Amino acid sequence: MNNLNKWFKSGSPWVWLSAGGVTLSLISVVGLLLLIASNGLSYFWPSQLHQFEMLDVEGTPSTVIGEIYDVESIPAEQLIHTGIDVKGAEFVERYLIKTGNRELVNLDFRWIAAPLIQQQSQPKDLVVIERRTNGNFYGFIEQVYMDGKVVELSQLNRFMDRVDDLQDEIFELQKTDIGAINYDLERIRLKSRKAEIDGELTPQLTAKFAAQTKQLKDEYLTLESKLNKLRDEVQRDKIVVRSMGGEKVEINLEQVIHISFNNQLNMLEKIGMFFAQIGNFIFAEPREANTEGGVFPAIFGTVLMVLLMTVIVAPLGVVAAIYLHEYAGNNAFTKLLRIAVINLAGVPSIVYGVFGLGFFVYMVGGSLDQIFYPESLPSPTFGSPGVLWSALTLAILTLPVVIVSTEEGLARIPASMRHGSLALGATKAETLWRIILPIASPAIMTGIILAIARAAGEVAPLMLVGVVKMAPTLPLDGNFPFLHLERKFMHLGFHIYDVGFQSPNVEAARPLVYATALLLVTIIVALNMTAVSIRNRLREKYRSLEH
Amino acid sequence: MINVKPETTTMQNKAVDIHNLTDDQVALEIKDLNLFYGDKQALQNISMKIPKGQVTAFIGPSGCGKSTLLRSINRMNDLVDICKITGEINLHGENIYGKHVDVAQLRRKVGMVFQRPNPFPKSIYENVVYGLRLIGQKNRRVLDEACEKALRAAALWDEVKDRIHDSALGLSGGQQQRLVIARAIAIEPEVLLLDEPTSALDPISTLVIEELITELKQKYTVVIVTHNMQQAARVSDQTAFMYMGDLIEYSDTNTLFTTPQKKKTEDYITGRYG
Repeated sequence: MNNLNKWFKSGSPWVWLSAGGVTLSLISVVGLLLLIASNGLSYFWPSQLHQFEMLDVEGTPSTVIGEIYDVESIPAEQLIHTGIDVKGAEFVERYLIKTGNRELVNLDFRWIAAPLIQQQSQPKDLVVIERRTNGNFYGFIEQVYMDGKVVELSQLNRFMDRVDDLQDEIFELQKTDIGAINYDLERIRLKSRKAEIDGELTPQLTAKFAAQTKQLKDEYLTLESKLNKLRDEVQRDKIVVRSMGGEKVEINLEQVIHISFNNQLNMLEKIGMFFAQIGNFIFAEPREANTEGGVFPAIFGTVLMVLLMTVIVAPLGVVAAIYLHEYAGNNAFTKLLRIAVINLAGVPSIVYGVFGLGFFVYMVGGSLDQIFYPESLPSPTFGSPGVLWSALTLAILTLPVVIVSTEEGLARIPASMRHGSLALGATKAETLWRIILPIASPAIMTGIILAIARAAGEVAPLMLVGVVKMAPTLPLDGNFPFLHLERKFMHLGFHIYDVGFQSPNVEAARPLVYATALLLVTIIVALNMTAVSIRNRLREKYRSLEH
Repeated sequence: MINVKPETTTMQNKAVDIHNLTDDQVALEIKDLNLFYGDKQALQNISMKIPKGQVTAFIGPSGCGKSTLLRSINRMNDLVDICKITGEINLHGENIYGKHVDVAQLRRKVGMVFQRPNPFPKSIYENVVYGLRLIGQKNRRVLDEACEKALRAAALWDEVKDRIHDSALGLSGGQQQRLVIARAIAIEPEVLLLDEPTSALDPISTLVIEELITELKQKYTVVIVTHNMQQAARVSDQTAFMYMGDLIEYSDTNTLFTTPQKKKTEDYITGRYG
């Protein structure tokens, strides 16, 4: 009893309690990251390809080829009614196999029960073909055709490189050259429409526009014929592959992104391919309703939107905090303002989304369209959701965080700093600008860090004010004015929701959801770390001031 | 304000009779000054003339109003919302509490050094030239010269000349206080107010600062608040003893410490309270 009393008095129970709390949070953070990382990264690992010889309940043999995605142990009773002989075992394993070949079978995933497997092998010449449409193909390469003639299998790599180059060229032609022409055509249309609205459309002007349009259309025709030639070129070669059912399928190399003999790869090659796949995921555009390919537009959209938001919220928050702390009188109204600011942080984010849609998009954006873009009406320019409105909405959402931490920073500065500056003949504004703000900068950075952390993960309001499932163009491109803030954009958070819950192919989407989540976390952490390191540098500079 | 440059050449440190000062011997004239913090009166009917080119010390027990009086000379009390002032403080015959006074300009003429050293978190150089930058001086050579001059005047140059672009926060407390003095005299004020400038320093640094004060009066009128009577006796030419917001006695330092006229003064300097 006495000992217990002593133990309590020594304070160790509280040390243990707080240490336990810290451990718990640490474990949950690390566990979460590990779960996301392992699930997400395994998506990129070139796994072994298996061939299963199956014998079903009626005794008909079949072959299943694919990657093992998942293994599950299920109670044997679940299988008994299907007539499978479980040999008295209580639990039976079953495998989830990705069989691909979407043009041949309805589902590219299937469960197979272990007792039905007669034989399992990993044939060396089994191949996985990543395609632009219809997903992966698993099977054996039968023949390679160059321009209709059968050639050696070893030529395949050379052909693939050629196809890659041609595809890049086609992409470049479509996006850059033809994209620019389309953009110019639209501008001419808008110019002529504007002249029409203003009543300045003279016959000369019409003729001028017509001439410009004609010139652009001629250019377009040249490019189009070039494009068609490239398209013919790229379709020159094809392969014939045999699927697990024995069907022979012809695949044009134009459709193929990557051919891999996974079972022939050694560890080093697998690691190489792993990183190549990650790079592909980060830098490529999504395909097949976002369930395949990369997420580059979403990364770009997320980062751009967060940066834009930071640029908007930082000055706004700092100015508001300076007013509240330095200039506003210490009265009931100021207190009310402060309470309002703090409460603003508690408003659900979807409410901000609704506000952003109503105020920014429809009111502000609509008015901007009326004033500056009457020629393109009724189709809206700024009057529809876009990246600018998303950034503004999130800026308002995170404003309280910046205001509160900036104010705290201002309050922490010793009065002697102000007095020292004022005594040298500085005005209040000069003191603020030259002395107070630099010293408060670490606190301002803290506010910005918190704002970024909150904004980067926010999805709900964005669905109302700018995020879309698939944006045809990035908000940044080569056409004047280069940064198109009125455009809709893609966002990693929304991408996770879309891929995970809106896609028809749940099994295929799952690893993608993890991989995207991992990427989102990485990006937010990276943005935060940048801000933290800036803050630490500033802190170091003003360290000795903190008494 | 009338812009009069301090005429350093005509300043002499010979003894003056503070009760019979001629107009050109007066640096500051305080007339019937009353100061209130809310309802509480902190200064009562203070009237005194502070002579040019001399060191005047304010002494008295804690809370007697000596710091408050010092702060009202460059209107630092303006920062306290509840502070109300009546009466006048005249600099060149003009009331600094007048309607059209530019407070920033006043503070350039009446510099101040505080109890604790308060260098800005900038380099030594930037600290010294801060006041000059405020008045728009951009010429690098002028700034460099002013910096060296001020640091020499504050007896700090030899210690820091090799690192004037290092952070001022790396200096010792005594050096920081001299830096703050250098910062104040870099803009060449007429009057320098020192608010217990050595109370946060060790004895050696205190000695250096005291020597510095004696140097400074060659060029500036110095007003110092101190709770240390020995210090007042050592550095000042005139001493004012204050008690409970009243100016009890004001005379040349020798007289005040050897033959005080008032009972309260005598009690204080003989250590009966304080």
